[in-house]
Amino acid sequence: MAFVARRLAAALLLLGVLSVLTYALLALAPGDPEQVLLGPRPSTAESRAAVRAQYHLDDPLPVRYAAWLGDAVRGDFGASLYSREPVTRVIADRLPVTAGLAGYAIVLTLAVGLPAGLAAAMRRGGPLDRGITLSALVALAIPPFAMSILLLYGFAVTLGWFPVFGAGETFAERVTHLTLPAIALATGQAAVVVRQMRAAALDLAGQDYMTFARARGVGRAHYWIGYALRNTALPVLTVGGLLLAANLTGALFVERAFGLHGVGELLVSAVGQKDLPVVQALVLMGGAVVVAVNLLIDLAYLAVDPRVRHGAVAA
Amino acid sequence: MSVMPGAVRLGGRARRLRRTRPGPVTLLSGGILALMAAAALFGTWVAPYDPAAQDLALGATTPGWAHWAGTDELGRDVLSRCLAGARSALLWPLVVALGTCAMSTSLGLLAGYRRGWIDAVMMRVVDLLIAMPGLLMLIVLVGVLGGGIGWAVLAMAVLFTPGDIRVVRSLTMAQRELAYAEAARTLGLGRARIMFRHLLPNIAPTVVAGALLSFVAALVALSGLSFLGIGLPAGTPDWGLMIEENRGLLDLNPWAAVVPAALVTIAATAATLLGDQLFERLSDA
Amino acid sequence: MLETRGLRVVGDRVLVDGVDLAVAAGETVGLVGESGSGKSLTARALVGLLPRGLRAEGSVEVGGAQIVGAAERLLRGVRGRRISLLMQDPFTMLNPLRTAGAHIAETLPGRTSRQEIARRLAEVGIDDPAVAGRHPFQLSGGMRQRVALAAALAGDPDLLVADEPTTALDATTQHEILALLRRVQEARGMGVLLITHDLRVAFAVCDRVAVMYAGRVVEQGPGAELAAAPAHPYTSGLLGALPSVERAMERLVGIPGAVPRADEVAGVCAFATRCDRVTAACTAARPPLRPIGRDRLTACVHDTAGPAGTARPPLPETALPTAPPVLRTAPPVLRTAPPAVCPAGPAGDEPLLRVEGLRKRYGAHTALGGVSLHVNPGETVGLVGESGSGKTTLARSVLGLLTPDGGRIRLTGLDVTDRAALGPRERARVHRLVQCVFQDPSTSLNPAMTVGAALAEATARAAPGDRIGVAELLELVGLPAAYAARRPKALSGGERQRVAIARALAVRPALLICDEPVASLDVSVQAHVLELLRGIGRDLGTGMLFITHDLAVVRQVAARTVVLLKGAVVEEGTTSAVLDAPAHDYTRRLVAAVR
Repeated sequence: MAFVARRLAAALLLLGVLSVLTYALLALAPGDPEQVLLGPRPSTAESRAAVRAQYHLDDPLPVRYAAWLGDAVRGDFGASLYSREPVTRVIADRLPVTAGLAGYAIVLTLAVGLPAGLAAAMRRGGPLDRGITLSALVALAIPPFAMSILLLYGFAVTLGWFPVFGAGETFAERVTHLTLPAIALATGQAAVVVRQMRAAALDLAGQDYMTFARARGVGRAHYWIGYALRNTALPVLTVGGLLLAANLTGALFVERAFGLHGVGELLVSAVGQKDLPVVQALVLMGGAVVVAVNLLIDLAYLAVDPRVRHGAVAA
Repeated sequence: MSVMPGAVRLGGRARRLRRTRPGPVTLLSGGILALMAAAALFGTWVAPYDPAAQDLALGATTPGWAHWAGTDELGRDVLSRCLAGARSALLWPLVVALGTCAMSTSLGLLAGYRRGWIDAVMMRVVDLLIAMPGLLMLIVLVGVLGGGIGWAVLAMAVLFTPGDIRVVRSLTMAQRELAYAEAARTLGLGRARIMFRHLLPNIAPTVVAGALLSFVAALVALSGLSFLGIGLPAGTPDWGLMIEENRGLLDLNPWAAVVPAALVTIAATAATLLGDQLFERLSDA
Repeated sequence: MLETRGLRVVGDRVLVDGVDLAVAAGETVGLVGESGSGKSLTARALVGLLPRGLRAEGSVEVGGAQIVGAAERLLRGVRGRRISLLMQDPFTMLNPLRTAGAHIAETLPGRTSRQEIARRLAEVGIDDPAVAGRHPFQLSGGMRQRVALAAALAGDPDLLVADEPTTALDATTQHEILALLRRVQEARGMGVLLITHDLRVAFAVCDRVAVMYAGRVVEQGPGAELAAAPAHPYTSGLLGALPSVERAMERLVGIPGAVPRADEVAGVCAFATRCDRVTAACTAARPPLRPIGRDRLTACVHDTAGPAGTARPPLPETALPTAPPVLRTAPPVLRTAPPAVCPAGPAGDEPLLRVEGLRKRYGAHTALGGVSLHVNPGETVGLVGESGSGKTTLARSVLGLLTPDGGRIRLTGLDVTDRAALGPRERARVHRLVQCVFQDPSTSLNPAMTVGAALAEATARAAPGDRIGVAELLELVGLPAAYAARRPKALSGGERQRVAIARALAVRPALLICDEPVASLDVSVQAHVLELLRGIGRDLGTGMLFITHDLAVVRQVAARTVVLLKGAVVEEGTTSAVLDAPAHDYTRRLVAAVR
């Protein structure tokens, strides 16, 4: 269908631009590319020549880019300049911690955000609504790293309920170790969900078709599932992309603050060490994940809304 | 369509008074921001110590009479450093907010009012920029390429502008279809006059609120960058950097990290709440 | 079947204050009122679906079941089966994600089959069973309203409350839906409570009519008797303000002032402040609804209120502005005699506006397919058409708000088809030649500017020699000069339209385009604005192109009428010829729809 084709093309275009920018990092980084790629290794004539050959530095720029992109698509981003290990393995080592943290945070976000948003909408204008709305505004403003420090100080140092650093080994340890980081990560996202859910529910409640459905005696279960749930699904879905982006960048700060060796921490240290292959791989992967999720959301729109399906409105 | 008589009778002075009296949330958040602005302007004069003065023999200490918020690992006075940090913490976000606001308002008005190819080209670029994982790119660009805070501020303004352009544009498009805007065109008023005298005041609440949101986002992002050790040289008195440098001291002098963390949080919260209240008030007027 | 006693709707204040109504099986009762009368809240209260924060008091019995204060569980059993509600806007009433068939199926009693849904669709005049599979966005407004009616009737209710079911529709569609409603009601022997702002609709379809004002019923009786001899001054005021489609009226008389809040008139006659027959008895206590004959009730303390349309005695000076007094004595400087305004126009019989073969397409849709018409200096031409006829596209083309694909537009001989091709001096002249009054009073003024600032800005665009002061302009449209300091928010709809007219007149245009200027106004306010516009045409010599969907309005204002259908002129002639002896089939249907 035209809609899917258009979205797919846009996603590919975006990934293309992202890859060019990522590759351009090498050219734009201060110093010679070969010097950058040598990293901390001693710079001898042989090592320089080896690097020039490995990264095709003698070829014209488009050819170099094409060769790099070809390798990248096959999952080969070269080796880390520091650990000398393949970039993919370095990332794979770090992935479980970040995945656990992100998953935990998403669960917290949805478990708190959806009911709180709905409750605020149902008690519109009342003290509960005002409290929830105000809390969401505050939560939205708190930076994740400041939140991390405050949580650490309050619950780990002062109260001693949670461990201060590390990710733990067993599953139970994992959960206790990741609880504070997940809360720090989830705070801002939950606020986004609360606001979106509240707005969607309020918008829905004001719709004529909701009143009309009740006025002609539509059954209770059907009203809540066939009407309320289905019609709020769309606006709430849109937050998915936002949430993911917040998760990606938030993880950088939270992992750093809690000393978790996850992918975010890897990116920060790789940036600090100018470990370009790792940085390039992470940026491209992060971008690919964001693009993929947004594409999935578009497809979900397609499934739920007949108007999008028939091209009557844009998603 | 008839206006309620009560509303008419409450004309002039009485209504203006009621409209301008700020609520407690506005007063509190406005007061906090004013206090912080004062610290940013005069903080270095009031500070009890030179924020860079080290006392290695003293090291990290908990709060006491000499050092109200204690000292850090190098024996530097935490309170003085926090006061000194207010300047960069507030100034750069202000620059980002003003830059973003000016760019997004003018470009958004232009795209929304003129439409046509200007709009089409601008929206393509905006869509692309919005779809990028922005903060990630910012961290990588500033981190790898260096260039310091100036570039970070510029990149941030470029990063924040597209979203606001989209908002201003869609509001402008809605306003220009309204009868009053069409009447202004029928009268033959100039394009600039219609855009800035007629349309802008009607989207101003969103623009003002958007500027405050940009301020908050920049405050959070910039202190986040320095928390990651990007943008500012080590040792600069900056809230984000202080959190990063002192987060290992949570058992020796927790205040060294907690106070700047609390300051960032309070500043961001106050600005957010103020933006929210201002929006309600302006759009209500 | 339905009986309400002392129904009140209360929020922060009282909004509906004492409504007594009864609807029997097989009967159609009309509930008529202007905006703010509380008629829609009454409708919501009958099905127990008041907006949040409002609650009903008194008694509403539907088939013996008490609605007021009933538990939601009980109401669910009543709604749909005993009483059902059809709402106003077919574009928002149906769930955009569900098909037409699904809307009907979800409240059908018993097993739902495709045949049953097709049968229900056929009942509302949809013979194509494929419609069941369509989504609302794929259907026209009239079709949506039919589907909504079928859905509202799916549970076979004894009583249908129809809240302005045709207001959002075109005249011909409106006519069809009303006829359908009547037919279905008779076939089912169902009771119908029809809520409407349109007196004519109520009189045409209803057995009995109740008139609501400021949250209460002020008069009730059989439609024909009410129309012939109203027993409440409000009813007779409304009738007097109602433009006739049969004849051009000498003078349209609106009702002065505005509708008061229900809680402010709780203890007095609600109409007392606007009534010219007010006596001490009116404000001593609230006049009860009293019987004055078979089936007739009135809440007026006086014996009779006189027949409709009689000239009322002069109004007290304290009343809000009504007829603009200056028009009669308009100073010569205000007259926009075309020769003085457009000296560059070629001599001879060149009309003020000449449109030839105007064409405009939007994608596959043809908005204008070669339209030609003209307006002579000082003449008012009515342009009649339904939504989608291209009448607004035509207006916007003449105003230069869009550029047509083909054809020519000439104003006093000057070719203005493509505004971009004009030089700056010619462009300035065109802006002084033609101005516009738009439809929606809620957006016609910039909310950020005071009335004075808006008018001052407009007068600055007039030719240097004949600028009119802001106070003078306000006086011209019958508003006090003090209004210059107000913002649009503090004005009523009618007042805003007056300011919009003043703004258009500020540059002293030779041609005024009126794009449905009274379509969003209540009848009593509409009369004031129509009278004002008539006066402008008559006394200032301004030529007008008056766009409207309302034949009664066009009868009152236009000497000549052009009928537009799907982007083409189908009939043209003097208004009386077009309306009294329509030649084209479409015009005949239009005329039949309002008779």
